[in-house]
Amino acid sequence: MAYSDKVIDHYNNPRNVGQLDKSSQEVGTGLVGAPECGDVMRLQIKVNPETQVIEEAKFKTFGCGSAIASSSLATEWVKGKTVDEALDIKNTDIVKELALPPVKIHCSVLAEDAIRAAIGDWKKKNGVAEGEAVAQPVAAH
Amino acid sequence: MPDQETESVAASCWSCGASLGTGSPICSSCGKVQATSADADYFAVFELSRKLNIDTKALERGFYKLSRKLHPDLYAQAPVQEQQWSLDQSSLLNDAYRALKDPVRRTEYLLTLEGMKLEPEKGDAGKAARAPADLLEEVFELNMQLEEMRMNRKMGEDDPQLRQDLVNAKDQFEGQLRDNDIQIQNLWAAWDTAVDAGDPSQQDQLKTQMVASLDRRRYIRNLVRDVNETLES
Ligand code: FES
Ligand SMILES: [Zn+2]
Repeated sequence: MAYSDKVIDHYNNPRNVGQLDKSSQEVGTGLVGAPECGDVMRLQIKVNPETQVIEEAKFKTFGCGSAIASSSLATEWVKGKTVDEALDIKNTDIVKELALPPVKIHCSVLAEDAIRAAIGDWKKKNGVAEGEAVAQPVAAH
Repeated sequence: MPDQETESVAASCWSCGASLGTGSPICSSCGKVQATSADADYFAVFELSRKLNIDTKALERGFYKLSRKLHPDLYAQAPVQEQQWSLDQSSLLNDAYRALKDPVRRTEYLLTLEGMKLEPEKGDAGKAARAPADLLEEVFELNMQLEEMRMNRKMGEDDPQLRQDLVNAKDQFEGQLRDNDIQIQNLWAAWDTAVDAGDPSQQDQLKTQMVASLDRRRYIRNLVRDVNETLES
């Protein structure tokens, strides 16, 4: 199967490979897997507690080229966004950007899931209910 | 209500008019071969209800008995139509036997028949099922080790500790596979009970559980295979 140039670029020069301190209050970790192929992806974000802006993002993916490219792109996209903005990223955006063929759509789904899982983890750590907007300062509880 | 499926949609013999269970390949009254019916499922071919604990010895006997009766050689002199039917029925019979004799394939077949989706279809946007969540940490860790192992290989190094870690991980996954198999067997028994009791809501719940168990089984088997390949390469 032919990969698009963008996939090959991300695959050869993946951005933001690595890990962040899982135990830090500011870090959210998303670990997701695709049962179809057994691929696993870990995506982490570091969120500024004042502004809710994602300042840092890292990933490590064991999977196909499309999964690596999707997660690499996802880390690029979430950086600089608030967590709420980052939740708007859809797998279809990734598909479009990387020109993924239909059989590789699940790889982009994995990346979207990873973003959501990382944000979910961060919200849980910081006492923000799932689905609740975080644009305003969070009330103490 | 056992045998509900085979009784509720009865057909009749084209030759003598005797009533037949759906999917009966041969008329029990006159012995004529029947056309394959569109809603003949593999269970119906053997006149079984959709249960999961099957006496495979009896299934085998039934298979040989039917294969002899349906054998195309017997129909060499028969009208073309019946020749064709005997061919159709023989191949259906073979498919049915192959699918039912292995308990896992039987379960997969039953679940598909019952309208469940087994493997999430690739390219089905947004519907990708989740890998077993409780395994993800271990799987990720395992992948880290596999990567290191392959890296060592490339450098011509061997790390006995790492190799041992991988063997341990593999043992652990194989243990989980055994646990999962026991769980699947319990589900079979529960399913059969629910079929006998005619309890559709219980059946629905069991179907979902069986799909999850089979997905898990497939997932862990793939992991074990990956480890084996890396260890042996
Ligand atoms: S093939 Fe499974 S993530 Fe790409
Ligand atoms: Zn008849």
